[in-house]
Formats: sequence, C-alpha cells, structure tokens
Amino acid sequence: MSTIEVPRAEFLEVATEPRPPRRRRVKRKTVNTIIWFVVLFAITAVILYPLVWLVFSTFKPSSEFGQNPGLIPDNPTVDNYVKVLEGIGGTPLWRFFANSLFIALMAVIGTLFSSALAAYAFARIKFKGAGVLFAAMIGTLLLPFHVIIIPQYIIFNRLELVDTYWPLILPKFLATEAFFVFLIVQFIRNIPRDMDEAARIDGAGHLRIFFSIILPLIKPALITSAIFTFIWTWNDFLGPLLYVNSPEQYPLPIALRLYNDATSTSDYGATVAVSFLALLPILIFFIVFQRFLVDGVATQGLKG
Amino acid sequence: MFNIRKRRVVAAAAALTASAALVLTGCSGGGSEAAAEYDPDEKVTLNLAFWGNDVRAAMYEEAIAAFNEEYPNITVNSSFLNFPEFWEKRQTEAAGGGLPDVMQFDYSYLRQYSENGLLLDLSPYLGDIIDTEPLSENILDIGVVGDETTGIPTSTNAWGLYTNPKLLDQLGVEEFEGGDWADYDAWMKEITDAAAAQGVTIWGGTDYTGRIQNFELQQRAKGEDLFTEDGEPNFTEEDLAEFWESGSGIREEGTVIDQQRLEEIYPLSAFDSALTASELTWDNFGAGYLGNLGEGYTELGLVAPPVTEEGAKDLYLKPSMLHSISAKTDHPEAAATLVNFLVNSPEAGAAFGTNRGIPASETMLEGAELDPLGEQIREYEESISDRLGDAPPVPIVGYGSLEEKFRLIGQELAYGTLTVDEAVDQFFGELDVVLNE
Repeated sequence: MSTIEVPRAEFLEVATEPRPPRRRRVKRKTVNTIIWFVVLFAITAVILYPLVWLVFSTFKPSSEFGQNPGLIPDNPTVDNYVKVLEGIGGTPLWRFFANSLFIALMAVIGTLFSSALAAYAFARIKFKGAGVLFAAMIGTLLLPFHVIIIPQYIIFNRLELVDTYWPLILPKFLATEAFFVFLIVQFIRNIPRDMDEAARIDGAGHLRIFFSIILPLIKPALITSAIFTFIWTWNDFLGPLLYVNSPEQYPLPIALRLYNDATSTSDYGATVAVSFLALLPILIFFIVFQRFLVDGVATQGLKG
Repeated sequence: MFNIRKRRVVAAAAALTASAALVLTGCSGGGSEAAAEYDPDEKVTLNLAFWGNDVRAAMYEEAIAAFNEEYPNITVNSSFLNFPEFWEKRQTEAAGGGLPDVMQFDYSYLRQYSENGLLLDLSPYLGDIIDTEPLSENILDIGVVGDETTGIPTSTNAWGLYTNPKLLDQLGVEEFEGGDWADYDAWMKEITDAAAAQGVTIWGGTDYTGRIQNFELQQRAKGEDLFTEDGEPNFTEEDLAEFWESGSGIREEGTVIDQQRLEEIYPLSAFDSALTASELTWDNFGAGYLGNLGEGYTELGLVAPPVTEEGAKDLYLKPSMLHSISAKTDHPEAAATLVNFLVNSPEAGAAFGTNRGIPASETMLEGAELDPLGEQIREYEESISDRLGDAPPVPIVGYGSLEEKFRLIGQELAYGTLTVDEAVDQFFGELDVVLNE
C-alpha cells in the first residue's frame, strides 16, 4: 500500500507548489516504472521459483530432500553431478542425450517433409475424395493417443520393429501429425494462387511449384512445426517407453527416471540433477529459436 | 509414489480387459505335455524385464554374468524401468502379444495376468528344471492361481513396525514394547508430547487407518481374510466403519502427523524425513528408509505390529516379488532354467543380497551376504513365526485400485473432509465397481 501512496503524495505536492511541473512529471514516471518493475519481478520470481528450486536442489545431497524443502542446500555438494555423469546401468549419460537428439531430429525432418507435401496436396490439388480424406485427417486429431496405443503396438510387433526407433520415426515420415498438416494447409490457403498460376503458365509442374514457390513462402509455418515437433519429441515419454526395450537405447525422459525406484531407494539428488541437464538443450533450443517461433505464430493470423 | 502407479494401473487395466480376448485366442496349448530339458547346446535369446533402479540393474548384470558362465548359449537381453512404467509397458505388451520371456512379477498383478492366460504354467517344470527342494511348500503356494503355478517367489516380506532409534533417543522415549493398538496409540502420544515439550516438530507416527494392510491385519486377527478364495469381500460395512472410527482419536488429538505436512514432503514419507518416529509397513522398506534418512542413520528399530487379538495368526509372508514366464515364450525350457537360476542359485543370492527382500530359497539365502539390516529383517521374520498364518488368497483383480482408494479415503478422513460413514459408502461403491468389472 505504501508504495502506491508515494506517487500520490508527490502529485499533491505538484499541485500545490508552484514549481515547474515538467521535472516532477518525469520523476513520477520513473517511480511508476520502478513500481511496475518490482511487481513484474515479484510475479516472475513466483513463476520461476520451481525452476530455481530445481537448480538449487541439484546441489542437495539425496538425504536432504524431505528434510529441507527450502531453496538453499544445507550441505551443498556436487556429488549428484558426479554420479549422473557416470551414467546409468553401464550406459554413459551422453548416450541418452544422443538417443534423444537422434529421435528428435529424425522426427523434425520427417514431419516437415511429409506434412508439407500432404498439406500442399490438400490445399492446391483437386483430387477425388479430397474432402473425405481431409475430414479423416482432422478426425485423427480428435483421437486420444491411448485409443491407438494397442493397435499400433500390435502392428509394430508383427513387423518385428519393436526395440528399434522405427515405431517412433516412421509415422512422422507418413504425415501422421495431423496438427502440422492442418497448420500448413491453412497457411498455404492464405497464399495467393496467382503466383502458382503464373508458374503453371510458365510450364512448371506440381513439384516445381511446391519447391520453388510454396516451400519458400511457408517458411514461418515450417519453423513453427519444427520447433513444436522437436520439443514434443524431446519430451515424449510414452512412445519410447512402449517401443524401446534396451536400456542403452532409452531417450532422456525414460533414463532420468531410472534413479527412482518406488519399491526401494530413490536417488532424488541424481534425479533432479539429470532433470536439469535434460532441460538445458531444450532451453537453449528455445532461446535460439524463440524469435522465429513468435514470427511463425504471429503470421498464422495474418491474411497472406 | 503410489498414486501415479495406481492411476495408470486403472487406465491400463481397461486396456488389458479389452484385449484379453485377443490374447486368449492366441494360446490354447499350455504346458500339459511332459517338460523337456533345455539342450545346453541350443543357442537361445531370452528377454528379461524387471523393475528397479540403476543399483538393481547392476545386480542383475552380475547375476546374468554368473548365469552365462554356466549356460553360455543363452543370451539374456535385460531391460529395466521404474515400477509404474514397468507395468504400463507390460499392459500394452500383454495386449499386443509381446511380453518378455522372463519377468520380475508383482503379487498384485499375478491373478489378472494368470486368469487372462498370459503366464506360463510352471507346474511341469517344478521339481525338474526348477528346483523345489530349497523352497518351502507355503512359499510355492503363494504363486498358485487356480490350479496353475504362474510365479515363483524370489523373496518374502512381512508387515512390521519400523521405529527411528535416533529420534527415540533424542526424545527419551523407550522402544515400543509391544501390546495392543491402544498401547501403540499411547506410545505414539508419548513421543508427540515429548517432542512438543522439547519444541521440535516430531510425531509418534502416521495415521495407520489410512493403510488397508492394517485393516487386513485386524480382520485376520478375527480369522478372516479381506477376500475369500473366490474373490468375494469378506468384511462388512460395520467392520470398516469401526476400523476408521478407531483412528479418529489419534487424528483429532494430533498424535499422528497431519495430512498437510505429508503432502509437503511427498513423494517422501514422514518416516523417510525423520518427522515421525514409527511407521507400520512392509519390512523390506528398511533399506529405502535408511537411504532416504541419509548419513547419521545406520540402524532402525523393527518390531512386531500391535496385537489385535492375543494368539491370532494375523501376520503372513508375502512375496516381495516373483518370477514369471510369458505364456508365449518360444523357449520355455531355457526360460525356466533362467528362472531357476534367479530364484535358487547361491550366485544370484550373492549378487542381490537383500535388494529384492530376504531370499525365499534356502540355497539362494546361503549365497547371500546379509548386511546388518538384512540380518535384522531375517531375525524379525523368525521372531514373528508364532503370529504367521497362511497367506491370503492371491489378490483379486483390481486390488491395486482398491488399495489406492483406501489410501485416498484415509487422506480425506485425515483432512476431515469425509465422515466415517461417507468414507465407508465411498469405499463400498468402489468395491462394487471393481468386483463387477
């Protein structure tokens, strides 16, 4: 309350005292700014607290969890990192990072390639059954993943592709990510047809139009899709859980739970340390690409 | 740690039921013909799945290395996950027909998987590939569902009362000397009061009426298991109301730790965090407690739970885990050979110690070097032999979700958001759902 009253008091002063008001007004503005910053900073601190807690907790010894819920470790130690860097069950830590990175990159490539092609077909080519197929594609958006788990597992099990990365990567190359297909379709529909008609008159076929005209124009949509695919795949837990058997093939989200065992001891220190490390790549990825992300999302709303 | 596990179980149980028909059509011929021996020259690859953490994974690696010295032609591909994920994956595999050849198995899932025909009947291998000599009859009986043996217990545990000697010492309270539930309540109150006098926030224990095992214990003292052999409930609404009512005193007086505090330290328990001086639980939780309590703790107290009825056989040995084989395995003989090794061999005992509980098999126990805690648990299980009765029938399908419901209702009672009567209604409602599924 007192912080709010300060500018008011000054305002009254301004009104009563015959001083040049300009300097006063500037000062009042600064005070306002400071208040805003304090408030914003407080809100940010509240929102960021869990993350900060995670970072500080990585320096707590395992036994301190539960006894010291506070931010600052009583007995700071780097043992958690030492333990985590040793790897899990004979597999070095970098291996899990490499696995995650491989799956995520393949998923990005697959999704961009297949979704863009499918979207072009839906948006620009008139073919029989286009409407039905488009509705079916939108329909898959409504299917909860849990409905398809078992049929999908049976298919991949029969194909003997379980315990490989194929079940995680192959669908991405087959434009099964309806969300991104839809996103790109909408984007292409907003691009004026004049340009591809001009190209058509110059003798370009669909492939040429796609690669030379549409693809450069849908870059913002592609970047959005790439970022989301990367983040989702990086964090995906259920897919790898079902299809990957060998511990040395596990991606990070599974690996970082291996320090916990609900039925015996759980190493919480190692868990938070490895969670924090697993967070870093995606944080860096986001910081680097966030400008494009905002661009991409912003242009979605504009008419082409 | 339990609610994640159970929520997923409920979801996955639906999936499993839906697919049981699919699976049943696939396997009709069990192991009725005479068991063949594994031919040691045959090259075989087996998948082995277990739950546990990195520590247990290293132990399995050691055991498998020892196994391969004896059977170099069996390649074992092992895979491990945390407990909830382990079962989530198994449920999908069960539906899709891809269960691993050999699995570490949990008692609460044994009936469900056995009745769906997903597990191999081991009877033909008993006394042949699987040595039954070192396993006692009542331990082998634990893995029997219907008339098939689908699991062999690796180890056993029993319900017990863990106490924190350091806290007791600090507060100047004697170890619990045994007695009935009222004595236990009084002892807990003594601790809570002593702590209050010293100005520290320590409680005597956790509200024991939140755990179904304590209800089971009191029912067994009357000579009744929670469920009959056919899976029918064996207790009345009055029994349950009386049980929950019995905890109202310690809840209202603040003898036991309050629910809000428990939520704050979750997933650790109050006993893990040295906030309570006692906990009624399975005796194999000791190592976990020591680990979570951290340095400064080298020992725990372990005594028998309060007595409901003098001379009653209310306690029993429960398998901490079993080994089972998938009904669809291509190499049942080799798989049985591996199970025998993991259950009976001294080498496996040496590798695991007491990590999976006190070894059930005498030969495995011989190979196991017991740490002080392991030795304490073994002595504890011997000391309660007068109170040990027959194990209850294999848990009903859906027992896991009932156990979880019981725990959640216990929380609500602790918060005071449910009356005992409402709680009983809710539990019997859930029971109806589970039984009629």
